[in-house]
Amino acid sequence: MKKLYNEWKFKAYNKKRSANRNNRRIAYEIWKSNKRTSYLGVNKFDIKERKIFNKNYPKFIRVKAPEYFSFIKNTDEVIRLISYLKELYDTKQKVYVVLKDVKQIDYSAIVVLLSIMVKFKAKNIKFNGDMPVDIESREILEKSGFFENLYKNFEEKESYDISTIHSNGIHTHASKKVDSTLSSKVISSAAAYIWGEPRRCQGVQRALIELMQNTNNHAEIGKPGEKHWWLSVNQDKQSRKVAFSFVDFGVGIFTNLHNKTEQSKFFGWFEKMASKIKYRDNAQLLELILNGELHQTVTGKHYRGKGLPGIADVMRRNQISNLHIITNDVFSCPSNGTYKKLNKSFSGTFVYWELGEENESCK
Amino acid sequence: MKAVNKLSLVVATEFTSTPGPRYKIEGDFSGEIFRQSVLEPKLKQAINENAILLINLDGTAGYGTSFLEEAFGGLIRENEYDYQTIIKHIEFKSEEEEYLIEDIHAYLKDAQNEK
Repeated sequence: MKKLYNEWKFKAYNKKRSANRNNRRIAYEIWKSNKRTSYLGVNKFDIKERKIFNKNYPKFIRVKAPEYFSFIKNTDEVIRLISYLKELYDTKQKVYVVLKDVKQIDYSAIVVLLSIMVKFKAKNIKFNGDMPVDIESREILEKSGFFENLYKNFEEKESYDISTIHSNGIHTHASKKVDSTLSSKVISSAAAYIWGEPRRCQGVQRALIELMQNTNNHAEIGKPGEKHWWLSVNQDKQSRKVAFSFVDFGVGIFTNLHNKTEQSKFFGWFEKMASKIKYRDNAQLLELILNGELHQTVTGKHYRGKGLPGIADVMRRNQISNLHIITNDVFSCPSNGTYKKLNKSFSGTFVYWELGEENESCK
Repeated sequence: MKAVNKLSLVVATEFTSTPGPRYKIEGDFSGEIFRQSVLEPKLKQAINENAILLINLDGTAGYGTSFLEEAFGGLIRENEYDYQTIIKHIEFKSEEEEYLIEDIHAYLKDAQNEK
């Protein structure tokens, strides 16, 4: 044997090299085994489809949308999707949303999907998806302008305006500030669709301002003006109603409530409430909030139209209909008195309502 | 002595038809700006002339509560007016949203009590 091979330098090099090779061999075996396991029970057409997908969209994570894609009617499933997408957003992973199996879709889900898509694109994270096979769902999604925007580039901005070329499509706006001029314009065009002339709907304006103000002040604890609010408005041909969907991906109402500082008038609310009113869970607490009882109990004063109870007042005055609020682990439809606890928590606040001919307006 | 002359302030034409948030940092047409640039100078004038300032709230797109609270409650908190002086010199007209008048009176009282 050559003298060289007996030297310690060569021995150390050889040891390291063989350890590396061994690691690579083990990693390859694991990869192969995982690949084989992932194909177990999958028919060969699906395997072929997956291979094509992996070739066309390398390193994209497939995220399947629920078959019944509606935030207000299939809340738990949509929250699960949002949480997974948020996880992927935080880890900057490319996403491919599988929509082909969607059988029913509505605008409450589309606004969420649109806003998430813009967030991904603004951060330069690839976001793609396919179309539903179901014709009706496909049409709704096409009219929403989702696909038009899927191939656009977005930059991180203070505000967004995502309108579609379709007259009855979905119009989505986003901002971090309170934009009363925008909300007034949105209402005016909604009124023109409903009543055939531009009208003022002070109740809707109040609801929008309160929500924008809440997002601006409370969506991120201790950091006002940090989060975007998203507002989508769509006109329903069949019912001649206009649906408003408002969403922010902040901390949500209850998380915010639990983090009130000493400067807040709601500081110590839990102890004050516990000593006076018994409530079961957050669902019942939301009902108390909307009835103004939390405000009354904690501050000793009437809420005077402020915040969420103010929005409930707007509904009671018949200025809006079919109000839905989803926040943290609560789903509520105050219009029909439904308040229920969700299995999974949504980090943010989603509010939906409708405006129609039967609601109050001002010429 | 009871105030007799009348001054008027129409929010929709003299400030904006789209009142906005509480503070100017939160967005355009805030209650803070309204108070500083329109409401307080008019109130000052009304007090000096021993007049009543009639504030017409109609004709706007609608009000957020923070706007109203900051505009009127702020008169006591920031401009250090007295509750009694304000109600002696201010009257409201709100036919489109009648509840606004009661709410504004409550904001004024709360601001006075918290002083």
